[in-house]
Amino acid sequence: MAGGGGGGEGEPEFQIAPMIDVLLVLLIFFMSITTTQVLKVDKAISLPVAPNAIKKDTSRSEAVINVRWDAAKKKATYLMDEKEYRDMPDLTKAIVSTKKAGEARVTKSENPTFRVVIRGDREATARSVSRAMNAAAEAGVSDISFSSVNKD
Amino acid sequence: MRRFEQNVNEGSLGFQIAPMIDVVFVIMLFFMVMAGSVQVERELNSQLPGNAETSGATDFVDEQVITIAENGEVSLNDEPMDSPTSRELPRFRDTLGRLKKASDQAKAPCLVTVVSEPNAKYARTIDVLDALAVVGISNVTFTVGEEE
Repeated sequence: MAGGGGGGEGEPEFQIAPMIDVLLVLLIFFMSITTTQVLKVDKAISLPVAPNAIKKDTSRSEAVINVRWDAAKKKATYLMDEKEYRDMPDLTKAIVSTKKAGEARVTKSENPTFRVVIRGDREATARSVSRAMNAAAEAGVSDISFSSVNKD
Repeated sequence: MRRFEQNVNEGSLGFQIAPMIDVVFVIMLFFMVMAGSVQVERELNSQLPGNAETSGATDFVDEQVITIAENGEVSLNDEPMDSPTSRELPRFRDTLGRLKKASDQAKAPCLVTVVSEPNAKYARTIDVLDALAVVGISNVTFTVGEEE
């Protein structure tokens, strides 16, 4: 108990060590919240702005389809897990395998919470996003989420 | 030169706490400011129309159809709303709010289908889905109109 002294004996004085502890904890907290969100998003995609959209639900198993848009060629590129898919049947197969893996991880029976998240570029056309949705539909997933950001 | 040598020889280079706190404060302020302007990923949910098996009778509900033209014009049940460049879509939101209230009072689900022209911008679809999220309509289906 000798180490905990100081209470009642003299004037309370400013302790530097606990202050540094608190500062470092705050520093780590702010560092973590500024980096986690930024790293996950494909840099080639500028997501559309939707200030009233709900916060992303991270508890569900999902397949993320990135829809990049080439403005010069007016052509969309579809990526899933950093792999490019030129043919839609291939993308459908990839969604099916991701769905199976997600189901096996969460429950052994069918996983009703599995969904497809579409991260489309804001300049993309509705048709290009629709093709990704068709791929999801053919894979048997009807729960679709569109990704957006809260501000520019 | 002589003075410098004296300093080196005289004392050991001790750990200075004050400049360290200064640096930590500056780094913390930097991250605090960055945390305010960081973009957070959000989501807008929709359901694809499916063919669910039902054993009982199915209630027919009023379906609202929203169309998005290639120039960005938004129409609700074939009635044009707001200007094609308006991102907030105030009139559209008001009308949707009234529809939602009416369907809530009738205890019927409010079902909305968004039909976009193939070459309309995806960002416009998100504007419409955002407006639907504001008024609290969750039964949303998104399709793209067939090309002629």
